[in-house]
Amino acid sequence: MIETPTSTFTLLEAARAGDRQALSRAFEKYQRRLTVLVYYRVAPEARRFEEVEDLVQETFLRAWRDLDRFRWQSPDSFFRWLASIAGHVVIDQARYRARECRAGEEVPLRSASNPGGADPADIATPSRLLARKEAVERLLARLDELPADYREALVLAKIEGCTTAEIAGRMGKSREAVALLVYRALKRLRASAPERAR
Amino acid sequence: MNDDPCERELARALGDILDRKVEPESVPELAAEIETLNEIDRVIEADSTLPGRLSGHRILGEIGSGGMGRVLLALDEALGRKVAIKTLAARYAEDAGLRARFMQEARAMARVSHPHVARIYNLGPAGETPHFVMEYLEGAQLTRAAAGLSFGQKAELMLKVASAVHFLHQQGIVHRDLKPANILVGPDLEPKILDFGLALDLGGGERLSRIGEIAGTPEYLSPEQASGAAAIDARSDVFALGSLFYELLTGEVPFRGETVAQLLAHIREQDPAPPRRLHAAIPRDLQNICFKALEKDPAARYGSAREMADDLRRFLAGEAVHAEPPVYARLIRGKVAEHLRDLEAWRRDEIVSEAEYEGMRKHYNRLLEPEDAWILAARRLTLPQVTLYLGAWLLAVGAAFLTSFRYPALAGAPSVVLVWGFTLPMVWVGIREWRGGRFRVAIAYLLAFCLLAPIASLVTVEELRLFAVLTRGDLKFEFSHRMGFAREATNAQFWWALFAGLPICTWMRRFTQAPVFSLFFAANAALLSLATLLRMGLIDWVDRDPGRAYLHLLPIALVFLAAGYAVERLGHPEDSCYFYPFAVGFTWAALTGAVSYYEPYANWLRTTFPWTRGQLEYLFIGNAAIYFALDRVFERASSTQLHAVGKTFRFVIPGHVLTSLLLLGMHAKGRTEERVFEWLLPAMALAFVFSAIPRQMKNFFVTGLVFFAAGAYRLQENVFPGRAGWPAALLTAGLTLMIAAAWYAPLRVALLGPKKFLRKLQS
Repeated sequence: MIETPTSTFTLLEAARAGDRQALSRAFEKYQRRLTVLVYYRVAPEARRFEEVEDLVQETFLRAWRDLDRFRWQSPDSFFRWLASIAGHVVIDQARYRARECRAGEEVPLRSASNPGGADPADIATPSRLLARKEAVERLLARLDELPADYREALVLAKIEGCTTAEIAGRMGKSREAVALLVYRALKRLRASAPERAR
Repeated sequence: MNDDPCERELARALGDILDRKVEPESVPELAAEIETLNEIDRVIEADSTLPGRLSGHRILGEIGSGGMGRVLLALDEALGRKVAIKTLAARYAEDAGLRARFMQEARAMARVSHPHVARIYNLGPAGETPHFVMEYLEGAQLTRAAAGLSFGQKAELMLKVASAVHFLHQQGIVHRDLKPANILVGPDLEPKILDFGLALDLGGGERLSRIGEIAGTPEYLSPEQASGAAAIDARSDVFALGSLFYELLTGEVPFRGETVAQLLAHIREQDPAPPRRLHAAIPRDLQNICFKALEKDPAARYGSAREMADDLRRFLAGEAVHAEPPVYARLIRGKVAEHLRDLEAWRRDEIVSEAEYEGMRKHYNRLLEPEDAWILAARRLTLPQVTLYLGAWLLAVGAAFLTSFRYPALAGAPSVVLVWGFTLPMVWVGIREWRGGRFRVAIAYLLAFCLLAPIASLVTVEELRLFAVLTRGDLKFEFSHRMGFAREATNAQFWWALFAGLPICTWMRRFTQAPVFSLFFAANAALLSLATLLRMGLIDWVDRDPGRAYLHLLPIALVFLAAGYAVERLGHPEDSCYFYPFAVGFTWAALTGAVSYYEPYANWLRTTFPWTRGQLEYLFIGNAAIYFALDRVFERASSTQLHAVGKTFRFVIPGHVLTSLLLLGMHAKGRTEERVFEWLLPAMALAFVFSAIPRQMKNFFVTGLVFFAAGAYRLQENVFPGRAGWPAALLTAGLTLMIAAAWYAPLRVALLGPKKFLRKLQS
C-alpha cells in the first residue's frame, strides 16, 4: 500500500499496469467536475441528473476502453481528454435520442436511471453518488439561475479549466469581456449563497 | 454591460488569477469571488487536504485512497516509528452505519494477532475523524511481489496466506475482500493481510448492511457473493484464495468481463481457462489446487482455508495433492454441448451421415460422462496409476495361485491368514482414500478388493472344507480336477466364492457411484453363471455332446440381456452397458459352438435336405439368419443400447454368409451345385455391397467387395478358364458403372421420365 501515491499521473500509470482500482480513483477525482461539464453540454431539455450520470459513466467506460490512446502531457491533460470523450458521448446520446432507440441500448452499470444494472467496480457507487449528488445538484441549481453567457464563461473557466484566451476564442469575445463575464457570474453566484445556507 | 472601470480592473485581475498568472492571495479585493471559486472546487473536487495530526501522530503523507477513505502515513513521535492510519472519508463520517462498520473493521483486526496479519495499534479518539492506527508495512502487493518467483515459492507464499486466512476464520472473521492489493508481501517474502474493510464477524451475529456497493472487488468475488447470496461463509474466502492463486500462477485474473454485470455472470457461470493452458509449465497439482478452490459450489471447494493450505504443503513436500476437481468434466461439458448443437445441425443439413452423427455423438457423450476414476476410463495414464493397477493385478494373480497350487509352507490356516491379510487392508485403505477425496487411488484399492475377495473366499472355503460336495458325487465332473490343478476346489466352492463377490460389487457401486463396479459385477455374474453350469454337469455334457452343451449358454445370454435391459430401463445406462456385451458374447459362443459341434443338427439337415449333405456352412447361414432376425427385433426397441447390440449382431452377417457360400462352392459336388455356388457368391457379394447403403454398414460394403473378387476368381478358374471375354466383361461393366454413377441424375430422369421423376422427388 505504500507504493501508491494518488496523483493522476501515478494512478494512470498503475491503471495501465492493470490496476483497475487506480483507474477508478482517477475517475473519481474528476467525476463531479465531469458531471457539471456534461450537464451543460447536453441539450437543456435532457438535463436530468440521472441522465447526466449515465453519460458520465459512459464517458468513463469509453475512457477505460481507450486508455491506451491517452498521452500524458500536463496535469490538466487527463481531464481535457475525458472532456473530449464526454463531448462525443453527448453527441452520440443526442443521436440516440433523435432515433428514440436509446431504450434498447445497454447501459451496463448501475445508476439512478438504471437501477437494475450492475454496480460499477469502484467508480461511483450510488451511495457515494448520493452523498455528493446533493452538493452537485445545489451547485447546478445555482448555475442554472445565471444568465446563459455568464454561465458559459464560468463553466468554461472553472469546470473545463480553459484559459481566458481559450474562452475568448470559443465565445467569440475579447479576453476582457470574458473576464468580466466570469467576474459578474461569480458575483451573482455569491448572491445566491445565503439561499443555500438556509 | 455598464462600463465601471473599477469592475473592469477587478475582472482583469480575476482573469489573471484564472489563467494562473497571479496568486489569488495577491488581490484581496477579490476575496469573496475567490471564495466562491473555492466553493465550486469543494463541490467538484475530491477531498484532498491532509489532517495535521491524528491520534497524536504527525501525518507525513497519503499512502493510498480507496473505497471509503484514505490510508495515511504518519510518524509516531513517541516511539519514533512510522505507522499507517486508515481514515474514513469525511463525507461518510456522519453516516452512523458506516462508522459502525469502520469501527468493526478496527475491532476485528485488533482481535487478531498473527504474523501474517497486519497489527492494529489503536482506535482514533472520539473527537477526531474516524480512524485507526496500524502497523506500517513496506512491500509490494501479492501478485506484483510474486511475479518473478518459482512455482514452489508461489505455493509457499500462498500456503502462508491460506494459513493466515484460516487463522482469521478460526477467530470468527470472514475477510470477504481478499485481493492482491490487500495482501502485502515484504522483501522477506512474508505476506501480511490488511484491510478488513468488509470483514464479516461470524461470531458477533450482527451483520452490517451493505451500502449499495458490491462488497468486495468484483474480480475476486465468489459466485455466492456475485449472486448476492445472504449466506457468506469461510468458503467464500477460499474461493478468493483460489482467484488469488490463479493470478499468482498465471498473472491473469480468472474471470474477466467487459462490464461488471458480465464479470459477475462469468464468476457465477463460467469456468476459468485451465492455468496450464496459459502456462504449460505450471505444475498440474497446483492447477488442481487452484480449481478445487475455484469450485462454483461451496460444498465442492476446500472445506476450509486449512485444507487448501494442507494441499499446498503436500505439494511442497512432493506428496500427491488431494485436489481432484470435477471442473474438467464441466469444462468439457460446456464445449461439448456447443459441438453437439453443431452436430445436430449438420445432421439436419445432411452434412454428416446418420451413422457418423451417431458415432460422433457417442464419442462426445463419452466425454460428457464424468471421468471414471478407474484406469481404463481414465483419459490419461500416469505412472502411479499404472503401477497401482499392476500391483492389484499381481495381488490377484498371486492369490489365485494360492487357490490352485500346493505350498507346503503355507498349508492350512496360514494361507487363509495370508490371503485375507492382503485382501482386507485393500477395502480399508480404499474407503479411507475415498473419504479423503483421492478417488483414483481409492478406486484401485477397492477394485483390488473386488478381485481379491472371491479368491480369498475360495481359499477359505477350501481350507475349511465347506461346500466340498462333488457335482453329481463324481470327481470327474469337477472343473479343477479336469484342469489338473494341484488343489482341487469343488465347483460348489467356486460357485459360492463367486457368489460372495456379487454383494461386494453391488455395495462398492453404491458407495463409490463408479460404474466400473457394474463391470466387475457383470464379469463376476458371468463366471458365476458358468460355475452354475459346472455344478449342473457342464463337463458331463461337453463329454457327451459338445454342441448341445454350447446351447446351454443361451439362457445365460438371455439373462444378461434381460438384466441389461432392466437396468437400462431403471435409468442406469452407465451400468447396463456392461451387461449387454456379455449377452452378445454368450449368444455368439452358443450359436457358433452349437453349429460347429452339434451333430444332431447336421443329421437333421442331412435327412431333411439331403442335398445339403449335412454341411456345417448351411448352419452358419442359418445363424446369420438368426442374427438378422435379432437385429430387426432389437431395432424396434426404444433402447439405444439394444440398438447397439443389434448392430453387433448385424456386423457379422456378411462374413457368415459369404464365407459359407465360398466354402460350400469349394466343397460342392457335381457341376450344377458348383455352378450354383459359383454364381451365388458374387451375386450375394453384390447384394451386400448395395445393402450397405440403407443402414450405412461399411463392413457390408468392404466384405462384399472382397468376396466379389473371390467369386470372380472362382468363376475365372472354373467357368471361364482362358476366356478373354470374362476380364473384358468385368472391365466394361466397371467402366459402365462408373459412367452411369457419374451421370446418375440425368440417367434417372431419362429412364423414369421427368414427370415420374419429379413425382418421386416430391413424395
